[in-house]
Amino acid sequence: MSAPGWRDRDEVDAMTTDRYLDALLSAHAVGAARTPASSSLDPVLRSVAERLSRDLPRLHPSFRFEEGLWLRLSEVARGIRAGAAAGTDQGLVPAGAIDDLAAFVGGPDHYADGAVTVRPLLVGGALTSAALSIAGAAYVAWRLSHPSAAPMARAIRAVSRTRLA
Amino acid sequence: MFAWPIRPSARAGCNTVARPAFRRVGRPEEVGRPRLAHLDLDRALVEAAQADAARFEALYRKYLAQVYSYAYYELRDHHEAEDATERTFLAALTNLHRFEERARPADGDGASTFRVWLFQIARNVVAERRRSRRRRPEASLDEAATVADDLDIAAQVSGRAEATEARRAVSRLTGDRRRAVILRFVDEMSTAEIAGTLGRSEGAVRVLIHRALRSIARDLGEDGR
Repeated sequence: MSAPGWRDRDEVDAMTTDRYLDALLSAHAVGAARTPASSSLDPVLRSVAERLSRDLPRLHPSFRFEEGLWLRLSEVARGIRAGAAAGTDQGLVPAGAIDDLAAFVGGPDHYADGAVTVRPLLVGGALTSAALSIAGAAYVAWRLSHPSAAPMARAIRAVSRTRLA
Repeated sequence: MFAWPIRPSARAGCNTVARPAFRRVGRPEEVGRPRLAHLDLDRALVEAAQADAARFEALYRKYLAQVYSYAYYELRDHHEAEDATERTFLAALTNLHRFEERARPADGDGASTFRVWLFQIARNVVAERRRSRRRRPEASLDEAATVADDLDIAAQVSGRAEATEARRAVSRLTGDRRRAVILRFVDEMSTAEIAGTLGRSEGAVRVLIHRALRSIARDLGEDGR
């Protein structure tokens, strides 16, 4: 079978799985004891889906955390309200831990795993490498045009001239 | 009541990726199918909070457990999950004036893209945390997983080693496969919402989840091979 054929088959299988998950999660939402039947879905996938829907429960943070965070949010909300009343755009939001939060509001690509941070390192590495190469070439050129006056260097040059002669 | 100051420039581009979640894409036979059955009806709550930030509480209470659960399953650490949850809601509240509703009347009465926008923030916060954890590893991954499992509330409740195995299998999935499974099973998001959150097409999300289930089956030895 050709590659597009395999891709189509994968998509059809994925669609079947998706429909089964819709039914399964809807049944869980209403507390149904029985899982929906699906003759077309692979029994292995059905079993895994049922297991995950059972073993991945939604968790709730502690009451203390919930109320503590709401107090913090209320404080921020009061600042925003005061700022709006004063006619500023962003409001009087308390500074501190929330200074860089706007960076998180955006598309999913902003913080893709392993992205972004690698680039400055590569650019920095390339620049450093280029700078070292230029400096090295300049040093070699300068060194060739300025023979050393040290006794050992003079002796080596004399031996070299003798051999060439 | 005051009118919320909104700059047109600040609104543009804030949640532009949320919209593709509501395009009817895919095969002709699925076009007529309602795709937004699970969409939350938040429009009124969002408008109230945009008009008065103090009324953000309803949205906060509604989504706290969902955001916390997502952060917990991603980070596998109770304290880090709390911290990520806090940053997510603070970012949402302070940037709520930039949120623009992108659901259309055709998407259903009261349909809203707020949950997609909120989870985009959560995803970014969690991804940043995971990255900084990789930069400053404090313990080996195996060690971290063991410690996290000791704190695993759900495992304590259910008392089943099977549950822990399943969660470990999910945590071993790569990137978007793992996120898609968590959003589908824990947060019970629709494919359309996951597509908006992850910035992918609905078809891609369906394939991600399908392959993730196959991978988990192999990992748990359920495929009989």
